[in-house]
Amino acid sequence: MFRRNSIAAVLAAILFGMTGCAQQDDQSIRIGAVGPMTGDQSKMGVDLRNAAELAVGEWNEKGGVLGRKITLLPGDDQADPKQAVSIANKFINQKVAAVVGHWNSSCSIPASKYYQDANVVMITPATTNPKLTQQGFHNVFRVCGTDDQQGRIAAAFILASGRYKRIAIIHDKTAYGQGLADYFKQALGTRVQVVYYGGIVQRDSDYKAVLTAIKETKADLYYFGGIYPEAGRLVRQAREIGLNIPMMTGDGVYDPTFINIAGKSAEGTYVTFGKDPAGLTTAKLFMEKYRKSYGEPGPYSIYAYDAANIILNAIERTGIIEKDPKTGKETLVIDGRKMAVYISRTTFQGAFGDISFDKNGDVTRAPYVVWQVKDGVFKQVQ
Amino acid sequence: MFTQQLINGLALGAVYALIALGYTMVYGILQLINFAHGEVYMLGAYLGIIVLGVLTALGLPSFSLVLTIIITLAVSMLFCAAYGVTIERLAYRPLRKADRLSPLISAVGMSIILQNFIMLAQGKEYKYLPPVISFEGFMFFGAKISPVEIFILASSVLIMVLLQLFISRSRLGKAMRATSQDMTMASLAGVNINQVISVTFLIGSALAAIAGVMVTLSYGVAHFFMGYTAGLKAFTAAVLGGIGSIPGAMLGGFMLGLIENFGAGISDVASEYKDAFAFLVLIITLILRPSGLLGRKTIDKV
Repeated sequence: MFRRNSIAAVLAAILFGMTGCAQQDDQSIRIGAVGPMTGDQSKMGVDLRNAAELAVGEWNEKGGVLGRKITLLPGDDQADPKQAVSIANKFINQKVAAVVGHWNSSCSIPASKYYQDANVVMITPATTNPKLTQQGFHNVFRVCGTDDQQGRIAAAFILASGRYKRIAIIHDKTAYGQGLADYFKQALGTRVQVVYYGGIVQRDSDYKAVLTAIKETKADLYYFGGIYPEAGRLVRQAREIGLNIPMMTGDGVYDPTFINIAGKSAEGTYVTFGKDPAGLTTAKLFMEKYRKSYGEPGPYSIYAYDAANIILNAIERTGIIEKDPKTGKETLVIDGRKMAVYISRTTFQGAFGDISFDKNGDVTRAPYVVWQVKDGVFKQVQ
Repeated sequence: MFTQQLINGLALGAVYALIALGYTMVYGILQLINFAHGEVYMLGAYLGIIVLGVLTALGLPSFSLVLTIIITLAVSMLFCAAYGVTIERLAYRPLRKADRLSPLISAVGMSIILQNFIMLAQGKEYKYLPPVISFEGFMFFGAKISPVEIFILASSVLIMVLLQLFISRSRLGKAMRATSQDMTMASLAGVNINQVISVTFLIGSALAAIAGVMVTLSYGVAHFFMGYTAGLKAFTAAVLGGIGSIPGAMLGGFMLGLIENFGAGISDVASEYKDAFAFLVLIITLILRPSGLLGRKTIDKV
């Protein structure tokens, strides 16, 4: 299987390389779409590419940008930081105007430096690690939320509810889980009491010791920074030892498997995740179009679609057509710096609502809302 | 909360003890650490989920819960026993006369093969099982005890008593003890060594299957990697109690479960070091008693 994949990868590289070369002469605008397209996270990268392809297809149907057709160059970083850097360099050599990607925090952060040096705008639809936009790069944007925002939303919800005064916090000791738990703890401040702060071992099967200790603290809610398999076992075992307080957790638990593992004990669990796109007409329209071509959209597809549209919009507004006085040949000049300035100052009407960015390149709107498990499904609380 | 942690620890310890028995029995007879044993436990857990899933689809649990669990245990034990005996035939028997290191490497290889086989056959995702036995436990001296925990404790104690009786009273048990003392001498006395070894693997694997089914009933998830951690803990339990000693494995299992629970439950800082407590106690025990708590003193034959 490995060999077949690598042959396919080589063939794909040759193919994309060739199209890249062939288009050096013509006037089309090249946009990179990059994420893990092979390996166990491949669905994520393919969701991203499909959504970007959908956006590019729509622009091309309308006649392109400034009269130029747009070509989408897909890249596979295999969720590997080294591969991500090599794709970034390849894109820069192919003179892409901008990039939709990467997917993983571990890929986006190292690759962003190369795009910054080459003055290429990158918009990630899915990287939530706050560090990405804290590097001071002018060219880096993200259309999804960050883990610190998520922690803040969760803390605000608890403070506003007034019902929960004694909070226990646990995490799975990973960069994501512990990071999220720490941001949450920080955002809680001093208005409620954190009565417990501890870690559990990922893939361990028994969490009753920690849960019993939490029960003893008389906490009235526990927050978990981590992913759905552990969360499912936690709520299940909590009920077994008679710990009948709700769990609150982050986007890593927003998965139907969580409810499948935990059964009835999942009821009442709070999860922070993006708004329900089904409520927006523009989002519904996107999902219909996506389904027609690619099947069911992934959780982050709509973000990739908006990222591609923002990029193409910015090119249309900032691109300049220069005419060579001797030959009369027209060339489109795209300046990454001008694009970045335009993006940071504009409010875009995306499929997922209005999007504007703060000075770091993060979205200004609160991207997370609180969901709760009710009758075996996730339901938006507000 | 003392009672609660005690019950948690005993239920977890029972699972460790059941797996540890398989390690200790094989070691007692072959002086081999069967690293593939954790994978047999994992197979038991997967089989538990599959059989329970099929039986639930047929509507049996609403008819008779006891019958459902008995059938699940029986099927899982049968399959795992077959796996255990086959592993011995394929990976250890051809190497019985070889250097002691060779079967050990073979065991590690077997473990990797089984893990990857399940990964390819069943997928990398977590397999889950909706709760079959109701959660509604009852209060017991201020602690909540669930029906699953009662089932785990009761059945594991029963199984350990039966095993002890089998080893000490039956003809085959006598043959097993003879083989563990001196394999050559036992074979000269007319003991069928191959049969005894097969039976050892059969019993050990069936016990691991019971542990696997219990864990799926209790925690509701299985993963192809779960045998690694559980195997390591059970092996620790076997060494703690004295490897080769059957009562030692039981004692070691229960002790390990209790140490982990009380250790992790002391404070929130301690919770992150749940595994460290178990290994700390192991190190101290081995310094003071190198052959484990109930281990036989090995006398070097000169």
